[in-house]
Amino acid sequence: MDATKRFRRSRRASALVALGAVGAGMLAGCSSDGDEPQAAGDGQLPEGGVTIDFWGWVPGLEELVAQWNDDNPDVQVEFHRMTGDDGQKVEAAVDAGSGPDVVQLSSHDLPNYVINGRVQDITDYVGDVEEKFTPASWAQATVDGRVYGIPQGIGPSGTMYREDIFADNGIEVPTTWDEYLDAARELKAADPDVRIANIASSEIGQWVQEVSQAGSTWFDIEDDTWKVSVNAPESMEIAERWQTLLDEDLVTTEQMWTPEYWALLNKGEIATVSYAAWFPLSLAENVADQAGLWRVAPMPTPAGSDAQGDSGGAANVVLKGAEYPEAATAFISWLNGSDETQDALITEGGLFVSTLAGLESDALMQEQDFYGGQVINEVFAEAAANTPDTWVEGPNYNTASTAITDEFAKVVTGKQTFADALDNAQAKTVADLESRGLDVSE
Amino acid sequence: MSTTLVRTTARRRFSGSGRWWVPYVFIAPFIVVFVVFMVAPIVIAIVNSLFATQTSGLGFGGSETLFVGFGNYLRAFADGDFLMSFGRVALYGIVQVPVMMIIAATLALLFDSAVLKLKRFFQFAVFLPYAIPGVIAALLWGFLYQPSVSPFLQFFSSLGIDADMLAPGTVLWSIANISIWSNVGINMIILFAALQALPREAYEAARIDGAGEIRIAMSIKIPMIAPAVLLTTLSTVIGTLQLFNEPQVLQTITANVSSDYTPNMAIYAASTLGGDTNLGSAMAVILGIATLVVSLILVRFTNRTPKESAS
Repeated sequence: MDATKRFRRSRRASALVALGAVGAGMLAGCSSDGDEPQAAGDGQLPEGGVTIDFWGWVPGLEELVAQWNDDNPDVQVEFHRMTGDDGQKVEAAVDAGSGPDVVQLSSHDLPNYVINGRVQDITDYVGDVEEKFTPASWAQATVDGRVYGIPQGIGPSGTMYREDIFADNGIEVPTTWDEYLDAARELKAADPDVRIANIASSEIGQWVQEVSQAGSTWFDIEDDTWKVSVNAPESMEIAERWQTLLDEDLVTTEQMWTPEYWALLNKGEIATVSYAAWFPLSLAENVADQAGLWRVAPMPTPAGSDAQGDSGGAANVVLKGAEYPEAATAFISWLNGSDETQDALITEGGLFVSTLAGLESDALMQEQDFYGGQVINEVFAEAAANTPDTWVEGPNYNTASTAITDEFAKVVTGKQTFADALDNAQAKTVADLESRGLDVSE
Repeated sequence: MSTTLVRTTARRRFSGSGRWWVPYVFIAPFIVVFVVFMVAPIVIAIVNSLFATQTSGLGFGGSETLFVGFGNYLRAFADGDFLMSFGRVALYGIVQVPVMMIIAATLALLFDSAVLKLKRFFQFAVFLPYAIPGVIAALLWGFLYQPSVSPFLQFFSSLGIDADMLAPGTVLWSIANISIWSNVGINMIILFAALQALPREAYEAARIDGAGEIRIAMSIKIPMIAPAVLLTTLSTVIGTLQLFNEPQVLQTITANVSSDYTPNMAIYAASTLGGDTNLGSAMAVILGIATLVVSLILVRFTNRTPKESAS
């Protein structure tokens, strides 16, 4: 599951409760526009200053925005924290001409936004900020050779595991997927209540990171057509592994982010979670009683490979309708690329940053008590360096991921196999692209 | 003197001369709201459903909007999962509507009779869930459906009964349970209000004729509140076709609610998740027509019954 989905699912429950409050907050936000003495004063002069509306979900952005506003009286940023289904409202808001100027967007969604003309080409405004970022993350904000956003974090994979459960049962922490299957069987034999992991049919990021690790992708561009490969041979191999885990009852199948899921973890019935670099923070918050018992290892690898995966990152993009794309680009370049913001993005935001400075910063390489004093980001940094560059973002990621999660749900209830599910999802994805008039090949 | 005055004003008011536009000003607020919030959305949805956004090649060269006639409708009808969602709510409705109506009517009759003590308290208790927004209700029940956090399921488990409220075969009825819990109160209140308005003399007469309380309820009270029963049944049936909140919330805790579990969810999946508002509009029009047809059939059917029984 990529960062957008994570925010959508995990926060949905609480967000729905807070929906009313958010609405009230937005109203308050609008009215405060005119109340600020400075904004009112500047409003008299057309060239005297601009206001940029920015929607995002990274924790701690409020402080960074305040810092920017203090330093840049001419470009004032209004921040709105995204909750619930705000991510899906953006498209409608942009189409209606009432969207924000800048939004945090999952990198998976970018091509769709480009095709529908919802983002602005900012190639001419980015200057040399590209030098600040890793080439892989910069590529994620680029579509068809043009720059449409500034990267904001990536999702390299790792495996969080209960060190005590493995040690107590005398089981080695698996380094390959073959060892992983053996460990799963041994764990269950040693303690019938314990499973090696949870497979959540709706948690698409956990699937994406293994597809990425296998050096595959869902989409690619070949001969000026979209090549769809949801059921590519590499994915079929992963499907086979997942099928074994399911058929031999080696995994639980709860939806992630639910009370039930956290209860299973708190009871010590799930021994590992393989997920992106932003997950350790959620884990530490939700199973706080198990502080010191968890460690992070590289995600198990296919035999003879040291490849890791990435479940997707995010970018800040300038939306259609933003009147001052240059000022907006200056802000998001500073927010994500500047050396002075990296520590806050890492410690407050829990981001795995994608800037060269950030990757070397002390803030990233901190020992974490919850993980027994391990510097866990060393593992994720290594993973980021070992992620194949095969994954290509496609024009209907949402349709493909919805199709896969719907089909996977039928696998969990035993109606079909993971291989069937991929074939069906492939067909749905291709049909959707064709209905839009795009050139598609399989 | 005063009579003349009244007569002249009256004549002036109704003579039709003078400010002919006055009545239009008075109905203008209604017309404006009706057109903007009722007619316009329907027209826009129908128009949208006849077009499609088409791109070509890789899609980066911009898009154009084409008239495709009933193309989107054909796509909707060719979508097996969308059609299945109608079957699902039909099955749901066949069970949920009668259960809802029987519970609501039974409670209304009990509150109307002299049998019950602490009437006000129980009425309030039954009505209270209606004051809780549907999404919140679904969240609450979501907790109660998850074995590790549900006191009920843990209690049953200690008795040796492992109930899975979220299994493929049970989740539909878990949704029905939430909906009944939420809405039985308002239906009960409508039926109860209708019962309270009935003339008590009819019961007196029936009692003198030797009818018991149950006989009075079945033969006098229920037939006399038939319009209220129709109203509540109709709103329950429409609520069934519009089912969205409860399954959408339960989708976050179980894999057994797909993205197109109900027609409304399928519309949401097509338009919001899939970004195809034209297809979503076509699906919405289909759902609207289906709702209209079911409602008309229900009204026809129930209107006929009393006439036949009266003749």
